[in-house]
Amino acid sequence: MDTRKCWSCGHPHAAADPVCPSCGKVQPPPPAGSQPDKFAVLGLPGSFDEPEDLDDRYRALSRKLHPDRVARASPQERRFALEQTTRLNEAYKALKDPVRRAEHLLALRGIQGDPKMSPEFLEQTLEDRERLMEAKASGEPLEPLAGAVREKRDRTLREVRTLVEGGGDLAKAAELLARMRYYARYLDEVEGRAAEL
Amino acid sequence: MALFQISEPGEGRAKEACTTAAVGIDLGTTNSLIAIVLADGRPHALAVDEGSTLLPSVVHYGEGGGPGSVVVGRAARRVAADFPRDTIVSVKRFMGRSSADPETRRLSPYRFAEGDSGVVRFVVNGGRVVNPVEVSAEVLRALRSRAEERLGIKVNQAVITVPAYFDDAQRQATKEAGRLAGLEVLRLLNEPTAAALAYGLDKRSQGKFAVYDLGGGTFDISILQLQEGVFEVKAVGGDSALGGDDFDRALAEILLEGEEHTPRKVRQAIDAAKQAKEELTRVDVTEAMGRRVTRSLLEKAIRGLIEKTGGPCRRALRDAGVPDGKGLDGVILVGGSTRVPAVRRYVRELFGLEPLADIDPDEVVALGAAVQADLLTAETPQHDVLLLDVTPLSLGLETMGGLVEKLLLRNTTIPARATQEFTTFADGQTGMDIHVLQGERELVQDNRSLAKFTLSGIPPLPAGLARVAVTFQVDADGILSVTAKEELTGVSQSITVKPSHGLSDEEIERMLLASIEHAEEDVQARLLIDNRVEAQRILKATEKQLESNGDLLSEGERAQIEGEMAALRAAAQGKDHLLIHGEIEKLDRVSAEFAKRVMDRGIERALKGHSVGEFDQGDLSPHAKKAYSALQEREEPVK
Repeated sequence: MDTRKCWSCGHPHAAADPVCPSCGKVQPPPPAGSQPDKFAVLGLPGSFDEPEDLDDRYRALSRKLHPDRVARASPQERRFALEQTTRLNEAYKALKDPVRRAEHLLALRGIQGDPKMSPEFLEQTLEDRERLMEAKASGEPLEPLAGAVREKRDRTLREVRTLVEGGGDLAKAAELLARMRYYARYLDEVEGRAAEL
Repeated sequence: MALFQISEPGEGRAKEACTTAAVGIDLGTTNSLIAIVLADGRPHALAVDEGSTLLPSVVHYGEGGGPGSVVVGRAARRVAADFPRDTIVSVKRFMGRSSADPETRRLSPYRFAEGDSGVVRFVVNGGRVVNPVEVSAEVLRALRSRAEERLGIKVNQAVITVPAYFDDAQRQATKEAGRLAGLEVLRLLNEPTAAALAYGLDKRSQGKFAVYDLGGGTFDISILQLQEGVFEVKAVGGDSALGGDDFDRALAEILLEGEEHTPRKVRQAIDAAKQAKEELTRVDVTEAMGRRVTRSLLEKAIRGLIEKTGGPCRRALRDAGVPDGKGLDGVILVGGSTRVPAVRRYVRELFGLEPLADIDPDEVVALGAAVQADLLTAETPQHDVLLLDVTPLSLGLETMGGLVEKLLLRNTTIPARATQEFTTFADGQTGMDIHVLQGERELVQDNRSLAKFTLSGIPPLPAGLARVAVTFQVDADGILSVTAKEELTGVSQSITVKPSHGLSDEEIERMLLASIEHAEEDVQARLLIDNRVEAQRILKATEKQLESNGDLLSEGERAQIEGEMAALRAAAQGKDHLLIHGEIEKLDRVSAEFAKRVMDRGIERALKGHSVGEFDQGDLSPHAKKAYSALQEREEPVK
């Protein structure tokens, strides 16, 4: 493991430690690597499901790192606090979202970029959308349509989970995961109307 | 930090130790308050105006223009009806707004000056021109000096609250006002967050809360989660141009039916409406301007306004992941306008919960701000909590075709950062315009423009090969900085966003200089400069109109106007600002009829298919502008 010395007290510690274990001062964030591990920012191992203590860890780390906690410290430490907290917020936000969390997990395993979508799926998506437009135009209730898409979404996510956790075809998992964006768009459109009412 | 001794004369209290000279300030639309955490560990609002903790946010500019001529608070409010144009009420509505903003043109008795920067400026007593930041600074200065008197210590640091829905321009303007009043602004804190802080500490609660904050001029809704000493703002929303003032105005419109809308009458009607509204929180029938006003009349007049708060509430609940309000542990009421029974009823129905109002809704925001000031400055803060706030509006960039690409979505916890890569559009393109926008809409024109700058020095490459990474960083105050970097050469450019609708650097500098207590001659010098600038503007505008619409005048009329122009030019050479001002007024008067004809021609053209909006208002005299506003008001906005 990489180690470094605390800028304030000189105590050697792991490069990933956000605060010095000896004096408690906020440390500069580690240099941005090729693929920063957002799980590691919160001191967590990678996982498909939301880690049980994600919220607790986020709050505990915020209490150590937030600029407000070092409002009276040197400008240098305040800058470190700003950078660390920004990084923490970024990581937490991504890990809170099931799709982004799964995407990140795949990225950490070397699967990146936009996968190619199957023509069948795209065709189905177009059909679904047309159906939605029709329903909107005729004033028919949208909830059954949204429910069906929600079900598809949840089923797809479970498939991704099986592939990722069971060491299956990760490229396939990435393709399934990319479908989530289409489902989200669809549901946004349904809810967009709900919000106007 | 040393322990300060403070005394509370008149209350028979013993001297109390005060650990900090940092205060919390609620700079409100209607009233402003100042509070501080005392040695008992609790925040206290200080009595600053005739024994009350509420200082009406009213600034009166009296005769002379010297430092002593400015009156703030109740004393200013008392003369508001007699000097409607010299007394600025609810200035917060104008913070960070441009003079072209529809908000600026609503029913109000003020006289506006037109400036190059587009910032709203009021013309007050003696032709003195002040902008909203300067007016707000007067309120802050009054709070500060009265608190200092009360506490017997210097107050130089403050947490100032802003509506959560304030955009970058409005935040910058508020910070500037603080600076102008000699305060180090430790933090701009969102009002609902401040309220929740005051409540959370008081009740030691855990859970999810909605804060429904309806003040004089703004409406805010926030959903917060309080857990393990961390106050997490989950979602915010609102309307920065909706509040109790609108209730007053709606009722005033009814009171003014069939009456002439003179500035004085308008002011009187608004005051009477306000008083009636307050009385109707306790009784069912009252009187205003000789008319019987029932609670149901008021409720009918304001129902639409109250219902306007529903949309932002539903959106915030959804953003916070508690649609329909299921899973909320409480609703907190903030702001004087939540005293209106119809508002409480609406909140109860909307959230399905009985709202909480145990802490005085007028004081709760200032109390929370004082707690945050203590948290940020005290060696050992009285409370061990942390606030995690969010961006109120999405931040993005203009891309091809006038579309907005959002980099940071609204309700992102701050500090936050986002980076996006862009590429060049044309072969050999060496510069890229970066246009920063704030808002939720798809099109550039529908969002607020925050800043524009150009990244130059991109190596000339075929289109699509250069890579420019644009990074947004929002700090804990919610203030944005933007960096654009070309990846091949490392050429980079960065700015802290100064809003386009805000104040220019020179203007801020001028204000800072002006804020240093002036000797009388400095004031005179400034008035001279201001009037000369105004003279030039009006001369230029009149010349332009003579050139393009001179055919509307008879020879005699034209000669009269040209004569006045010559007189004004001569006056502007001299050093007597009163003379210049007088000549400006004269020119204004003799060209009024001309302006009217130009307007009529404009309307005629508009009827033939041109839009009235195409005319450049800046070129019109104040008379013409009044006609223009009236015309615009009659044109129902199309939704």
